[in-house]
Amino acid sequence: MSLVEKIREELKSVYDPELGINVVDLGLIYNIEVTEDNDVTVTMTLTTPGCPLHDSISSGVQYCVEGVEETNNVFVHTVWEPAWSPDKMTDEGKRLLGR
Amino acid sequence: MPPQSLSSETNIKLPFSFIFFSFIALVCSQILLLSNGQFMTSGTFRIPALWSAAHLIILGWALMTAMGAMYQLVPVAFLTKIWNETFGFIQFFVTAIGILTFAGTLYWAPQDAFIPGALTLIGILMFIVQMLMTLRKQAKPNILTAFVGTGLVCLLVTISIGITLIYCLSTGKGTEYYQPLFKTHLLMGITGWFTLLIFGLSYKMVPMFSLSHGFPMVQARYVYGIYISGLIITIISIFSGNDLLLKLGFLLLFIGFTTFSWHVSIIIKKRLKKKLDKPFSFALSAIGFGNLIHFVAFVMLFTNHFSGLIGPLIYTYLFLWIILSILGYLYKIVPFLWWTHKYSQEIGKKAVPSLKQMTNEKVITILLSLFILSVLIVFCALSLKIAILFNIGQVMFSVTFISIALNTLNVLRK
Repeated sequence: MSLVEKIREELKSVYDPELGINVVDLGLIYNIEVTEDNDVTVTMTLTTPGCPLHDSISSGVQYCVEGVEETNNVFVHTVWEPAWSPDKMTDEGKRLLGR
Repeated sequence: MPPQSLSSETNIKLPFSFIFFSFIALVCSQILLLSNGQFMTSGTFRIPALWSAAHLIILGWALMTAMGAMYQLVPVAFLTKIWNETFGFIQFFVTAIGILTFAGTLYWAPQDAFIPGALTLIGILMFIVQMLMTLRKQAKPNILTAFVGTGLVCLLVTISIGITLIYCLSTGKGTEYYQPLFKTHLLMGITGWFTLLIFGLSYKMVPMFSLSHGFPMVQARYVYGIYISGLIITIISIFSGNDLLLKLGFLLLFIGFTTFSWHVSIIIKKRLKKKLDKPFSFALSAIGFGNLIHFVAFVMLFTNHFSGLIGPLIYTYLFLWIILSILGYLYKIVPFLWWTHKYSQEIGKKAVPSLKQMTNEKVITILLSLFILSVLIVFCALSLKIAILFNIGQVMFSVTFISIALNTLNVLRK
């Protein structure tokens, strides 16, 4: 399993506390980049701009990735373009929302 | 995809201070209402104890809760940080002392209520300054800004008229304007400030809590235009004594509210979250009650039965629309604030509870259902002037309301 895949799997333990669905299945994680030095940059979004859980969820992603053994420096960037939309959710995410 | 920070978290001690205070005011107001129920059933609303109880519940509970909620929600809805948090804490203490002393003097010495009233006014003015300065920082004002901004202006007008009423009362001056000023005070406070505030913030919270996407927002402009027109025409009719204008004003208020209900139903139909949380569902049901009360008020006015029902209608509007909305959202806001305080540094490191796990939805459903039932009993008692029914409803209401307060605070044990 590559480090990117490993990080993505670990991020499934970070839940949006309002929806009770993890950030991966919600489609909040746009990109995970790993350099040769194992510095990690996670590009993510939230379901709505100004989400009151903004800092908590992005910090959660940061702590989670920092907890993966092989990673070095971790950077989390929250972006609003492209905006989150329901089609970014996985099938499991949709199922958990009752769709 | 350049990173953009739209983080806007507020120091949770600020909204919590308001919410804690509001629960204390709530308990005091219920004790006063219970001990003076005989006056309400006889239709005698303007006595010192009921003034005190009414202001404790409207200013001490509803306004302080709304202020606390706004300190939390305005940054969320308008994507901007609170202008000055230290100023916010000072505003809290000024307003809290003002409301407590104001309610006290209304009870013991209404003629001396001017200075405590002025202190409350200063606290509320500080809040308005805080919010207007915060809204000014908003990058792109939108229709939500119009609702909340106009709501704040209505609040300013409400308290200014309130102070004028106390001045009239204590000096005996301007008695010919007392009635129209009093009616405008009620109208601007209840349908102006609170309704516009709930409309505005609902446009952020309804999509957020139902995870709705791809809904139109054009209807919000119609809601704003029609409802504001209704408010203005009603105020003109109050001062001119024109009955036809009053009916037109009430009709526009009803149409504006109905348009809002229709728009919210469109948003809800576009939701991704199939099963809505119970507290949020109750906040939505409050919209239905508000709409129904607007309809009944218009019909009663049209059939010349309004004056006999005005007290009970204002009572139900206050509790089944405004306060039920606030309670529904409070059950979302308090767990969020506590979760942020307790778990925001734990998420990602270990398993943390979801917000839903911090409350007991079954208990909330029972309590809010009892709340609605008790308000309806009191409404019937007030309408039919049945003292025993009032006492039953009011005891049930007070016990339920205090239980809701304790149940909300129970989140702090999680």
